[in-house]
Formats: sequence, C-alpha cells, structure tokens
Amino acid sequence: MPQSTPHVPPQVPVLPALDTAPTGRRIVAIWFPHWLSEIVMPAEKRDAPFVLAEHQRGTQRLAAVNIAAEACGLYTGMALADARALVPDMHIEMLDPAWGVAALDKCARWLRRYTPWVGADTHPDSHGLLLDISGCAHLFGGERRMLDDMRARFNRRGITCCIAVADTIGSAWALAHYGPDSLIIAPSGHGADAVMDLPPGALRLPEDACDLCRRLGLDSVAALAAFPRTSLTRRFGPYPVMRLEQALGQAGEMLNPCVPAPEFIVRENLAQGITQLDVIASLTQNMCATLAAKLFAAGQGATRLDLVLTRADNEMQALSVRLAAPSAEADHLARLLATRLERMSRGFDAGCGVETLCLAASATADVITPQAPLTLGHKAFKAPPVAVLASLFDRLAGRLGPQVVVRPVVHASHIPEHAVGYRPVHAAPLSGEADDAGLSTATAPEPQTRPLFMLCAPEPIEVIAEIPEGAPYRFRWRRVLHEVARAQGPERISPEWWPSARRHNSLTRDYFRVEDRNGCRFWIYRDGLYGRETGRVRWFMHGVFP
Amino acid sequence: MREKKYQAEQRRLTVNRLRHKLRKFELVPTAGEAVPSGFEAIDACLSPHHGLLRGGLHEICAAKTGDFASAAGFGAHLAAQFADGNAVVSGQTRQSVGEHGRPYALALPTVGLIRQQLIHINGADLPDLLWATEEALGCPAVGCVVLMSLEQAPDFTASRRLSMACRAVGRPLVLVLGAEAGQASTAATTRWQISAAPHNSWQVRLQRLRGSFKRPPPMAGWQVFPWRETLPVSDDTVSDNTTPESVSVHATAAYGS
Repeated sequence: MPQSTPHVPPQVPVLPALDTAPTGRRIVAIWFPHWLSEIVMPAEKRDAPFVLAEHQRGTQRLAAVNIAAEACGLYTGMALADARALVPDMHIEMLDPAWGVAALDKCARWLRRYTPWVGADTHPDSHGLLLDISGCAHLFGGERRMLDDMRARFNRRGITCCIAVADTIGSAWALAHYGPDSLIIAPSGHGADAVMDLPPGALRLPEDACDLCRRLGLDSVAALAAFPRTSLTRRFGPYPVMRLEQALGQAGEMLNPCVPAPEFIVRENLAQGITQLDVIASLTQNMCATLAAKLFAAGQGATRLDLVLTRADNEMQALSVRLAAPSAEADHLARLLATRLERMSRGFDAGCGVETLCLAASATADVITPQAPLTLGHKAFKAPPVAVLASLFDRLAGRLGPQVVVRPVVHASHIPEHAVGYRPVHAAPLSGEADDAGLSTATAPEPQTRPLFMLCAPEPIEVIAEIPEGAPYRFRWRRVLHEVARAQGPERISPEWWPSARRHNSLTRDYFRVEDRNGCRFWIYRDGLYGRETGRVRWFMHGVFP
Repeated sequence: MREKKYQAEQRRLTVNRLRHKLRKFELVPTAGEAVPSGFEAIDACLSPHHGLLRGGLHEICAAKTGDFASAAGFGAHLAAQFADGNAVVSGQTRQSVGEHGRPYALALPTVGLIRQQLIHINGADLPDLLWATEEALGCPAVGCVVLMSLEQAPDFTASRRLSMACRAVGRPLVLVLGAEAGQASTAATTRWQISAAPHNSWQVRLQRLRGSFKRPPPMAGWQVFPWRETLPVSDDTVSDNTTPESVSVHATAAYGS
C-alpha cells in the first residue's frame, strides 16, 4: 500500500558499530561464481560454452553455466530446451550435487595454508568460503599480498573468484558477492561504510525479503539501515534485521570452522562429575581398550592421541600424545596416557568435577603387521624390532619431552658441526637407513679424525704457537693450561661457498688433533688463514677425543 | 654314631644349598652370560669365563677431571661389545652436555658403534635419566644402556635398584661418571677407572670385580691402545673393528701389587 512510503526520519539513532578494532577480527569471504562449471570442465575447454543441467520440477534446467555460456545469454535456472535453441553446439553435462560440496570441502582444506580458521558459507545457492585471517595476514606480507596470492593461485587453476576482506562476516560476504571489484579490502573499522551502497540482497536476505525491499523502493543497504530497527522488524521479521546488524557489526556472528572430524573417537559421559585423577586414569584405560578395538578393526594404528576432559562448568583440559609408530595396542596407549595424566596431576584442577571424557585418535596410519620369517632351510633373519623400539620411544618422549629423545642423522656438509645433527625419534625414520642419501662414503671423513664429543659451540682458546700457520705449542682452555706434547694436522676445511646465505663465520679452518702431556686429546682449529683471510688468527676448541 | 653321620651329611647338604644360593646372589657370570671386554689382557683377568657379566652394572669413572671423554670412550667400547648390533640407548645429564657436548655421530665407529644403533637422551635431570634407564633396560630391542653423568652419581639405593634390574632382564648398564661423581659408592658389578694416557691410549684400572672366584690383583691395571694408528674403519667394517684381534693390547703391566 502507498501508506508505507519510505519516509526517512532525519535523526535516527544509529547504533554505534561494535568496536572491532581491539579484537581486530578480519574476515575474508571468497565467492566462486562459476564454481560447478569450472571444477567439472577441464581448463583447456573453457572458451566453449558449457552448462551443467539438473532435473528440476519435472524439466531439465541449467544448474550452472560457464563464462562463455553466460556471454551467449544463458543463465542459471533457464530451461535446457531454451538454452539448446539459443546455443545449439554447447557442451552439456548432468550435475551430480555431490561434486560441488566435495570440491568445496577440498578447497577449504587447501585454504588452511592461509589460516587455520576456514568455514563454509552457509548461504544456499552460493559456493563460497569464509576465512578468519585475524593475525595471519602479516605472515604473507599484508592483506593485499595475501589476497593477491590467493587469487593468483585460483586463477592459475582456472577458477574465477571474488574475494573481499572486511571486519565482519556479513560485510565481507556482501562485498564479495555484490562489490564493484573482484578483490576488495575494506579498511579496518570502516567495513560498514563499504556495504552501504550495495543492494539489500547483499545482506544474505531470503528471496521474499528482497522482493519486499524492491517493492518498497529500498534499493540499498543504507536505505534499510536508516530505518528504526523496530519498524523493520515489524515489517520484515527478525531475520533480515539480524543480518543487517551482523553486516554492520552491531551483532555478533560465529564462523564455524570445518575441521575434519576424527574418525576414531570414544566419548564417555559421566552421570556425576569426578574429581579424582586416578578414577579418570582408570576410565581412560577402558576407553583406550574401546579405541584400540576400533582401530584394530579398521587396520589402523594411532599416531596421535588427544584426550579432552570437560568439566561441569565447561572448562576443558586437553592433552595430546604422539607416537613413534602407529599402534593399536590398548595397553600401550593406556600407559602413554597414564604417564601424561600423572604429569598433568600437578597443574590439574578438577573444579566441580570432570563430566565428559573424549579420547580421539586424531592421526592414524596403517599398521603393517610384519610377516613371520620363513625359516625353511634358512637361518631366521633377525628383523629390527621396530614396534618394540617404538613403544620405548613413546614412553621416553612422553615423560622427557619429544625434543630430548633423539637419534643422530648425517647431512652432506663439510663443516663438522653441520655434518651431524640430532633429530627427535618421532621425526626420524625408525629404520634409520634412508636418511643419509646425500652422504657418499667417499666424502665421509675418517672416523679417527673426528672427536667422540663435539662441543655445543666452538669455544675460543688462548694459543701460543711458534709460527702463525703452525700447530699450537700450548693453549689455555677453560682456565686450564695444556702443554701440547703431540699434534697432528692441519686438516683444512674450507667454507662452503654454495649455500645462498653466507654462514656466520665463513673463514677457512685448520683443524689440529693435539695431545697434551697428560694424554688428553683435543680437536682445535684456527679460524682464518693468516695473512690471506685475517691478520689476527683466532683459535677454537671444538671437541674432545676419547 | 649313625645319627652323627646323618647330621653331618645334612649339614653338608645345607651348606651346599646355601652356597648355591649365594652364588646366585653373587654376580658370577655363567658361560653364556660372559661378554669379552675386547681386550685380551683384561679378559684374562676376568675369571671364570673371561668376560663381563651381561646382566650387570658396569661403572666407569674418570680418574681426573679431563678424563671424562676417555672414560666415555671406554664405556662406549664396552657398550658396543654388549650390544652386538642391537640398539644402544645413551643418556647424558644436562651438565655433561654443557661441558662436553654430545656424541659426534661420525666418530662413533672408532668405539665400535654405528650411528643407526644409537638412541640418545640429550640432557635430562638425573632422576629422569634413571627412570629412562630402567625403561630402556626393560625393552627387548635394546642391547645396552649407557648413562653418562659428570658431577652427580646415582646414590647407593638407586644403583642397587638398577643393578637388580640389569640382573633381572639380563641387559647391561654402563655407567660413565666424571671424576667428581666417581667418589660415591655404588652397587656396581665392576668398577673401572680410566685416565687418558699418551700416544692415544688409555690407562685402565679394574677397581672392583664382584662375584669373581679368583679375585683380581688389587689395583689391576693396563695400558690399552684401542686403535692402531692405521686402522681402516668405516661403517661396513665396524663389526670387525670390535673383535679382539684387531684391537691390540700393546703392553700389559700391572700397576701396584
């Protein structure tokens, strides 16, 4: 009726936008306008018109069109027969609705390279994703670079995308779908201004609400926002108002990240909160048995366990355990968790009692059951007992910390301290064989020429030598004077020129093996060639021989 | 008369039985349990089977402050003998890491180990290390455990516990102690004192040998040359390196007595 002319009162109390600056939340909305057609169609056939059709209300209608088809005048929802009449030689394929969802899910996982917080766009008929990039953009050199990189990577795969970043989910979504450009960065704190000019459809309103807006002559978000909320609510219902407030940052909205749910999970709900840790430990033991049975049935072994204890007041306490080799042995899993629970007991606050225990094998791998050796006429081969060692590693690393239990690895380097490293047992391959591909036996130094113990860092020593290029005569290390009785050397080790970043001290080293009058043997070196590289030579202690 | 004879017979049987029990308490290796030390002259002294007890705690201490590396070298050499290709778990206290650094993987063949064997616990407190040692001793895939501590030794109770654990599982523990730590008394099966000697050699003294039928001469000592100067050692020939033939005992001289 004409009585509802949009009459804009001059002084409408506009709610101040929620202060977004302190939280600094930044949301990226990505919209793929031609998602279905682009993921189904191979990239090289993009130029030809291509449509996806589906059965709808008894007729075949277009579900998705690519850019070329759009240029020919085809649109989504058009009857397939009409489209055929318009463009006879187009390529048609029937749509499987599962494609789009599966591909979008895959894409969401991939986007976790930018931020851990990636959620699906809940709006129907829209293929898009939402990313919470708060505190992540600087890792990519700022928002502009991050989004450019994102868009470039999509374009390389032949996927059209519209990207917008703003302070709220609503405004980011609006700018991505209705914005003037395919890449929009709304300045922080001013996201609401950017959406004001957009049509009401940008507020993620349902179809009928959009129609009503059109009929009322409300052609922009600003026109809607200018109305008092109460009258808007009366006319449109609460939902569009909520969307409006979410876009303007006056109402909160959550982004649900799509985290792959762990497949192997055991949950224990207790009727009554428990406070004793030993009861929790024994419950955990039972849960481990159930979990192990599930894992075993699937032929899987856990490589990471997560136990979450939820208290009655919804406080959560989590602990996680990593395993060196996949395991589905209940006893082993229970023992690892018991160790961690025991350690947790110092800082554990049961509060009003733990109500829910949730044990998940968040990472799993196939368990390879070793075949029993065939002993017909042969001597039994002694296979390395990987599983036995792995359970030892888990227990040691569980108590001492994963960085403490290590295995030596060898790298292809001439610089002695770079040639050998230690790697945590969880990171190193259990067999310990395949890690020294870069090291050929020809370049490996003679073992006798290397010290059994190498100092964590070379320590400067005071040396008296007869000539600057010669072996030392006596030296002082850690305030003890050593008279050199015998010396062997020098073994000259030149700096490696091939690494791109020049090492901190890139001087030639002359190593000497020296023995003092007591028989103690040391590995010392002179840093820099006298007269050629440096005018003042410095000496360092680098290791001790047995 | 007959009764007296019977009683005497009974007494003899009881004594025999007790002796048998005692022998079990005393840590005497049987033929299968004796592992040669790799040095002929030393093995000759280790009666009755010319080897060290596999399920025992072997303590190796440095004679002076600077001799820790030599003691560790001797300990690693024994560990290689014990492990015989199986995994070796070595643990180092934080202090010892700070003082001497960590074992250098490329030099391990000089003591008869290969780096694939080694599992290292890199710097922990002694109580944690003792716990880890006991765990490692219980693992069937482990051939030997080496524990290196510079200034602090496990007290008598702890070492007794470890010694019994070794005996129970039949796996050895080599305890390498610095000169300061070596003063404490432990329940070790054997105790060796090592000092570096000129010309790339060690001075080895056997200070204690529990459960031996024939006691070693007090303060039995040797000067040991663990390497010939030109001994080709690479990963492939490691197992050869540890055989007694290729390890020469240059001179055998008893110090003291």
